[in-house]
Amino acid sequence: MVETHFPELDATVPPPPRRGILSTASLYKLAIYIILIVAAFIAMVPFGYVVSTSLKSTMSLFAYPPDWLPDEPTLDNYRNLIDRYPFWRWLMNSAIVAGSVTLIKLVVDSMAGYAFAKMRFPGKEPLFLLVLISLMVPFAALLIPTFIIVRELGLLNTYWGLILPGLASPIGIFMMRQFIESLPSDLENAARLDGCSEFQIYRRVILPLIKPGLVVLGVFTFMTQWTSYLWPLVAATKPQMATLTVGARSLTSDFTQDWGLNSAAAVLSMLPMILVFIFLQRYFIAGSIAGALKE
Amino acid sequence: MSDITLTSTEIGAAGQLSLSPEEHKREQRRYLLRRTATAYLFLVPAAVFFIAFLVIPIGFLFFYTFHNGGIISPRVYVGLDNWRNVFRDDLVITSIKNTLVYCLMAIPSVFVISMFLALVLQQATRGGSVFRSVFYLPTLTPYVVAALIWQFVVHRDFGILNMTLVKLGRDPVNWIGDPDMALKSITMLEVWRGVGFWTLLFLAALIGLPKELYQAAAIDGANAWQRFRHLTIPLLRPTIFFAVVMATIWNLQLFDSVSIMTNGGPQNSTATVVWYIQQTTFAYTDKVGFGAALSFTLLMLILVLALIEIRLLRKR
Repeated sequence: MVETHFPELDATVPPPPRRGILSTASLYKLAIYIILIVAAFIAMVPFGYVVSTSLKSTMSLFAYPPDWLPDEPTLDNYRNLIDRYPFWRWLMNSAIVAGSVTLIKLVVDSMAGYAFAKMRFPGKEPLFLLVLISLMVPFAALLIPTFIIVRELGLLNTYWGLILPGLASPIGIFMMRQFIESLPSDLENAARLDGCSEFQIYRRVILPLIKPGLVVLGVFTFMTQWTSYLWPLVAATKPQMATLTVGARSLTSDFTQDWGLNSAAAVLSMLPMILVFIFLQRYFIAGSIAGALKE
Repeated sequence: MSDITLTSTEIGAAGQLSLSPEEHKREQRRYLLRRTATAYLFLVPAAVFFIAFLVIPIGFLFFYTFHNGGIISPRVYVGLDNWRNVFRDDLVITSIKNTLVYCLMAIPSVFVISMFLALVLQQATRGGSVFRSVFYLPTLTPYVVAALIWQFVVHRDFGILNMTLVKLGRDPVNWIGDPDMALKSITMLEVWRGVGFWTLLFLAALIGLPKELYQAAAIDGANAWQRFRHLTIPLLRPTIFFAVVMATIWNLQLFDSVSIMTNGGPQNSTATVVWYIQQTTFAYTDKVGFGAALSFTLLMLILVLALIEIRLLRKR
């Protein structure tokens, strides 16, 4: 059932009502697209405003009423951000943390998912129940003990300190188990009869088959880490360990708000996520269902 | 599917029919032991992180609810003081109330809008993937950025909303400065940010539904609303079930946007539970024990609400 491509995504599913005359059908279509365009407009307008603000000069920021488009677009805010703040350092920190969490989680969760989906062993049901229950534990509630544990390990203001707590989340185990369970067992059984060890089956049979699932979990994890704010805020107190979210926030002091600068930071920090999403969105949509829906 | 695995074991055993019953039993035990060991070996890496950063912290959290200090000052045993304080503190009540009110505003709005958009999107023959990406964009925004973007929307002087209101000849609204409006403004932000995620989830689920049923229903003369009410909704039960439970768990943890946009104000009208935990623990005073007790309260609140939802949605 794991289909990589969903051609149906672009196809009309129930045929539009055919009531004799063509105009009813096209009117219906028109209504559909008007709704979609309005919704897209609402989703996009704030972004457009931010991009536009990031290109405004400090002077034109205070124009009232504000202009929708900058009179003379300038890259000053971007230059300012990169010259005066360790922006690249923040970007690198975010990339290191989000990338490491994603890679480690993909390996670790797919292994656990394989065990839960295809192996039989005593204690499987209670352990999986534990995973399910722990889905309900809010990270925020564990902030204090996690902080103390990380501090006791001497990992505050280190990459490991930022990475490790992100690895605990059980949602990946759950998603991987759902994916792997939907695979037919014939292939792995054939491999087993050929004398493959469980690890070889995992490595050579299961992993290639669940590529879409891995992409979904990967994007999901990366996104969560890239946008994470609360944990880096408390675990990285030194400016050079700040991630993008914390760094971008530090641009705003209590007294001043440089809108242009903030907007430039916002645009730059979103670009990587948008690129990742555009490249992988097909998998992501196909996969969010498989992971989520089957109980 | 695990039945097939079982069959393969039996094939393995059947290959050695010459074994005596005792030998057979011993071999079988050895095989089972090895199988179990392999399975646990696959679980170990995940379990290490799970135990170190989930199980132990929960135990630790409970331990800390009976102590105070620990982050800056040394830890002292205080008995049930923290718990007593949590239930006596007015701001705790306010923050729980705000969080619940927020959930009641945000979750239904997000779901209705997302389901509607998913149904519309399903009908779009062309450009579907463009719209999907555009709708998903707000979800990809880090909260820090989303909150900044939202300031452009709700800013009193040059926000998009007020500019539009003024143009329409209405009075501008003080979206984040007014205690009556602030939580609603936060809700708007969260709805704006959340709709894309759930739209795609619902869309994926809608696409997976069996088309024959819809054709049959159409032949039987069911109109669009009847088909939605009596086919789509029941068929989407598992998705909706998952969505409601996860949305509850996530939304009860509202923090980022509050911390960035209003920092709990004005007049604590946007104080949420997680915001208060963060405040008591890291921002002002060293009230770690109090924060721990409040965290534990949140944990219990989420567990209870999620279990109630599971109960309600599973049955029927």
